[in-house]
Amino acid sequence: MSEVTDVSEVISGTVQLQARHLTRHFVTRTPGRGFNAKHIVRAVDDVSLDLVAGQVVAVVGESGSGKSVLARMLARIVRPTSGDVILRGKSIPRKARRSLAYASQVQLVLQDPFASMNPVHKMRHNLVRPLLIHGAKRQDVEALAEAALTRVSLEPPSRFLDRYPHELSGGQLQRVSIARALCIEPRVLLADEPISMLDVSVRLGVLNLLRGLCDNEHLAILYITHDIASARYIADEVIVMYAGQVVEHSRGTVLVDEPTHPYTQLLIASVPNPDDPTSVGPPTAEQAQVIIAEQGCRFSPRCPFVMDRCRVEEPPQFIVGENHTARCWLHADKPQFEVEVALPQRRGEGEITKT
Amino acid sequence: MGQRILDIRNFSVDYGWGESAVRAVNNVNLHLNRSKVLGIAGESGSGKSTLVYGVTRLLRAPGVIASGEALFDLGPSEEGADTIIDLVTASEKELRRVRWSNISVVIQSALSALNPVLRVGTQFEQVLKTHRRDMNKADRRARIIELLALVGLNEDRLRRYPHELSGGQRQRVMIALALALDPQLVIMDEPTTALDVVTQREIVNELAQLRARFGFSMIFITHDLSLLVELADEIVVMYAGEIVERASAQALYDTPRHPYTLGLLNSFPPMHGARTELTGIPGSPPDLNQLPTGCNFHPRCPYAMERCLKESPSLVELGEEGRSVACWLHSGDEGVVVPVELSRTGKGKREPAPMPVKGDVS
Repeated sequence: MSEVTDVSEVISGTVQLQARHLTRHFVTRTPGRGFNAKHIVRAVDDVSLDLVAGQVVAVVGESGSGKSVLARMLARIVRPTSGDVILRGKSIPRKARRSLAYASQVQLVLQDPFASMNPVHKMRHNLVRPLLIHGAKRQDVEALAEAALTRVSLEPPSRFLDRYPHELSGGQLQRVSIARALCIEPRVLLADEPISMLDVSVRLGVLNLLRGLCDNEHLAILYITHDIASARYIADEVIVMYAGQVVEHSRGTVLVDEPTHPYTQLLIASVPNPDDPTSVGPPTAEQAQVIIAEQGCRFSPRCPFVMDRCRVEEPPQFIVGENHTARCWLHADKPQFEVEVALPQRRGEGEITKT
Repeated sequence: MGQRILDIRNFSVDYGWGESAVRAVNNVNLHLNRSKVLGIAGESGSGKSTLVYGVTRLLRAPGVIASGEALFDLGPSEEGADTIIDLVTASEKELRRVRWSNISVVIQSALSALNPVLRVGTQFEQVLKTHRRDMNKADRRARIIELLALVGLNEDRLRRYPHELSGGQRQRVMIALALALDPQLVIMDEPTTALDVVTQREIVNELAQLRARFGFSMIFITHDLSLLVELADEIVVMYAGEIVERASAQALYDTPRHPYTLGLLNSFPPMHGARTELTGIPGSPPDLNQLPTGCNFHPRCPYAMERCLKESPSLVELGEEGRSVACWLHSGDEGVVVPVELSRTGKGKREPAPMPVKGDVS
């Protein structure tokens, strides 16, 4: 299982995992709104994206923007309300349970490495278990586990195999969780805030590791973060989410350098900028209050450029530049973007698989 | 003491006793001037929180203050001279007088700091009832509403329980509580770490306004050095329980002197300019149980020399105003060449100065 059967399948540029109109609504019962008054939380609403071998797609958003629910739907831990997950051209039935075969292709790395490792077992157990579950031979697992640790630069591996989670630092442990996800040779790695719990000095190490895996081993990576600077550092494609929707999306990091959506502009203005502290446009109290409009554009209550139209009508995605879309009425003069018809082509590549 | 509101001398904190004691804060000397903001930067385990909990005597067993004094200036007394107390030797009774009224602390996690079963208003009530005996109910209510307004919260929040508030609102409640008795010194322990970047920006702006209005001194602890550069007047960088560099905020950012500071500054991906690969700092923070010999940073330091392996450098003043650094590179020894990225002078934009990868430097 560990050897790559067909190299041509994983070369850079192949679409590995696609999300089409993925939506997840949660029903809550709010106290004080009457008995059984249902309230629908639109955690993720109509999100489409492609994860391509050898590329990092970054999803940036605040807490509550739905970015983690999106990752969990792609990992098939959370069942979508509607929309499709397409693994290498094959649509996965929405109601089917997550199969072992799916898990062997798509792996998830979580935020807190201390919580995602079993504290009473050594690293060896934590690495060997997925290998055995995914059908590795018992006599090979030790070597495979060592190879996995070497891959994430934990050397010599023998020093780490007999350690317990509490004996490692956060950065080392996060590397082990990445090693654990990678030891079964998945094609797609979903990383949900992999560096936010780590010390500043070791964050770059983990980011560089992810970038290296992507460049050298042509892994398709979804990198979820609230730190737009780290997204700019690592990503080939950046998606900004607000209240469950994609509000801005660009290939490359155009949207960080030239943001067109007011929310992206607010995010960027909020990042500490010691080079020029005066350049910061402080958000107003209304802007920082997270209020999500029930009608119209979801960002409209916080938006400094809000127009009458924004309060009534929800904006579609407009094509604001080459491979760059924004969900904002300010760009209403631009052509609209539809996922099916106008899917922008990737650089150096022809048609992508239509589904 | 005059200008100094807090003067920490030879301060050390241990966890545990006797043989098994781990030194979390080692011989720290630090002072804070009135109406200034002191930033303490460092990674987890660097002792930054332990230091302030030690100084405010909030440390719980097995934490013990091993040595040192922390002189706090209570301001002029009736005779005119400043009353200065040593927080380390102060009795519980004296501490009770100082805490909250003179020194207040905003701790890291607002959700666990607020009482989950009491309404926000009740928590304010309790503080004022205990410390301001002369206030009547109407006075208290007026004061609470005033405090909430200071941090931009509406008075209808008073009826809410902590879990009904968002993370940013909770943090604002914490700040309002800390300011309830007009303290001279407010200690903020990672107040924005758990918050989103937009909320963080808003709270930082609010703190700046409140400080301009009330003029309290502040100690701001965080691992986010870029935030400190904006906020603080002076920054100390801690590593493995010791101060490795101290400088004014802008000087520290423009012209770092310690290799660790340089590494930290290089660890933040930039928001502008070309994308280049950054290296950060190799290795991981040290285990306080097994500190390396010599300089604590030498296993991760690209400039480590023979001396660094054997002797631990102490914090020495540099020629420049108010700057000190603990690094053998700046000892002035013969034959030691200070690398250009650690000896730059002048202001203005910091040139991107990549740190060499460990092993490159002979």
